[in-house]
Amino acid sequence: MGDQSNSPSSSIDSSSHPALCSTSSIFQTRRDLLSTDLKLGLGLSTSALHGCSSKEREQLSHWPPIKPLLRSTLEEKVHRSHSKTFFVKVYMEGLPIGRKLDLLSHNGYDSLMRTLRRMFRTTITCPDTSRVPPEKAHVLTYEDEEGDWMMVGDVPWEFFLRTVKRLKITRADKC
Amino acid sequence: MTYFPEEVVEHIVDFLGSHRDRNAVSTVCKAWYQVERLSRRNVFVGNCYAIRPERVMARFPWMKSLSVKGKPHFADFNLVPYDWGGFAQPWIEAAARGCPCLEELRLKRMVVTDDDLELLARSFPNFKSLVLVSCEGFSTDGLAAIATYCRGLRELDLQENEVEDHGCQWLSCFPDSCTSLVSLNFACLKGEINANALERLVARCPDLRSLKLNRAISVESLNRILARAPHLVDLGTGSMTVNHHTEAYHRLINTFLRCKSLRSLSGFWDASSCCLQAVYPVCVNLAALNLSYAPAIQGDDLIKLICLCFRLQKLWVLDCIGDKGLAAVASSCKDLQELRVFPSDIYGAGTTAVTEEGLVAISSGCPKLNSLLYFCYQMTNTALVTVAKNCPHFTRFRLCILDPGKPDPVTNQPLDEGFGAIVRSCKNLRRLSLSGLLTDKVFLYIGMHAEHLEMLSIAFAGDSDKGMVYVLNGCKNLRKLEIRDCPFGDDALLKDVTKYETMRSLWMSSCDVTLRGCRALAAKMPSLNVEIINESDEADEFQENLSDLHKVEKLYVYRTVAGGRTDAPDFVWIL
Repeated sequence: MGDQSNSPSSSIDSSSHPALCSTSSIFQTRRDLLSTDLKLGLGLSTSALHGCSSKEREQLSHWPPIKPLLRSTLEEKVHRSHSKTFFVKVYMEGLPIGRKLDLLSHNGYDSLMRTLRRMFRTTITCPDTSRVPPEKAHVLTYEDEEGDWMMVGDVPWEFFLRTVKRLKITRADKC
Repeated sequence: MTYFPEEVVEHIVDFLGSHRDRNAVSTVCKAWYQVERLSRRNVFVGNCYAIRPERVMARFPWMKSLSVKGKPHFADFNLVPYDWGGFAQPWIEAAARGCPCLEELRLKRMVVTDDDLELLARSFPNFKSLVLVSCEGFSTDGLAAIATYCRGLRELDLQENEVEDHGCQWLSCFPDSCTSLVSLNFACLKGEINANALERLVARCPDLRSLKLNRAISVESLNRILARAPHLVDLGTGSMTVNHHTEAYHRLINTFLRCKSLRSLSGFWDASSCCLQAVYPVCVNLAALNLSYAPAIQGDDLIKLICLCFRLQKLWVLDCIGDKGLAAVASSCKDLQELRVFPSDIYGAGTTAVTEEGLVAISSGCPKLNSLLYFCYQMTNTALVTVAKNCPHFTRFRLCILDPGKPDPVTNQPLDEGFGAIVRSCKNLRRLSLSGLLTDKVFLYIGMHAEHLEMLSIAFAGDSDKGMVYVLNGCKNLRKLEIRDCPFGDDALLKDVTKYETMRSLWMSSCDVTLRGCRALAAKMPSLNVEIINESDEADEFQENLSDLHKVEKLYVYRTVAGGRTDAPDFVWIL
């Protein structure tokens, strides 16, 4: 009992009748199915689910035993973290050629600002500094899901990641 | 024989609260049955198919409060097909005809339609409280009817229902004359809410003590609402997306400072650590805290928040709290009675999750712990034995090891001894959920020691029919037994068929019971409904050709005085 090295096929005899099979081997298959699914780990996304049979997909949605509301909240979080990269276009005012930046490789605004300053070799000021920015400085703006251009930094980082479509570095005196 | 006038019996019976006691009184003699039934105000129906609604209404015409449950528990985990049954309609219709003084209705895991809600709203002039838990089938239009027609409504409590969004107007349907609300919970609604209408409603209900908002309510709205309801005892926040530079955040801190009566907090949708400081002023008085919808709150911020709540009795949290966090909770929250630790990473083997260490820490720091739901990736027998010794007062013990059939990682042994220690030590255990690698032995222990066990959930456990038989033979108070993916077959099912008459229900899915076994059970016990759920596409073809040895996908057996039900869909066969 519980010997994980038993392969299911070796204990099924020549008769294919389900009731005559060793119950522990079928039990093993059931456990293996779910264990394998669980071990698929971060690679599993909803698109990967289409590769499973409908029975397997059903099994997946029944384990672990958590209620639908919690499951959908967690799946939302998983959706966001599955795409290990999130590249957005970054343009600087005056430069026709833009760059691309992976937002998920940063853990907050500070990290993002540092990378952009390095990439574009310019001072990018934050909205909460009270110093009057010199003419040469820039501010960072982004286009949100509604198409509006907003100042970067006002909303929590996780929220920003959900709504940002692209970035633009504009001259400070325009804001 | 001493004669008691009916008035005296009635007076005595009035002191009996519990359903069990009242049920016992009603079986003494005809006179007592009459007295009891006419004086019963709270009626509880654990299985909506166990009795016809008309009979309930006829027996208890002066009923004020009715509670009905529909689908079996495993419906919560998608194991019961969508249209299996559990319709509220016959209950509401019968109550409308037979019990017009109904004031409270509580439905759990039932299908409720907008028409049902409208009938409810129009039929009971004294209606005060509607509680819907894990229900589905209605929309915000149904809520509009409740708001419009229930004058004097005190409670509208929607817990984890699937509600179709038909717009936000429902909240505006509460008339200006509605000032009686004490409890309003719409946290499960997915759509937008008319924040202005909500603020005005809150402002005109001075007795409002419990308010749970949904994700559509912003922090700005929350500020305005809390300003009007500083006496709230129980609050579910809306979306807590707020940047700590903004004015909204500063106002939030001030608002919470004024909420001196808050004892329970939940919600925290989209909350990140920076908004937590706003809540610090109320932590010291909190008795209950639910952070299970806030996966972004982690690490030290999470621990700091919880450790401020030193009067906490109930904590629901995600496993990102970690063993270290649980140890901190154990040293701060000495009054903790109920702990639920939910999994935050349901697709992979998380490394930040909790292990047996966290549970042991909690058990040694919180001796009052009596209710546990714990999701983890591993558990050891030694840990369970320690927990059993530290916390003998468990009434509910649910352990879910996320890897099915996983043994003790240290000894590679099954967890029989660990769970055995739990049932031996916790003499008042009423509810138990097992997981991990388990042999028949654990069921022997359960049968021997779990005298007061009422509900047992088993998954991926056991070796043979003997396991199930131990439980059925031993647990005298067993009411609900739910089993999935276990090697229990017809022999176990048929060993003691009269046992099922003493229980509310039995669920078995992906086990080894066959059609023959189920048919035999149905034949022997006409007082039971034996339902077979076969959803596979081949079911139609095979219906005639189905051999008796065909394994049954899902079996649901329950005692009933109502006979077979007539509302079952095609894929449910009632034998």
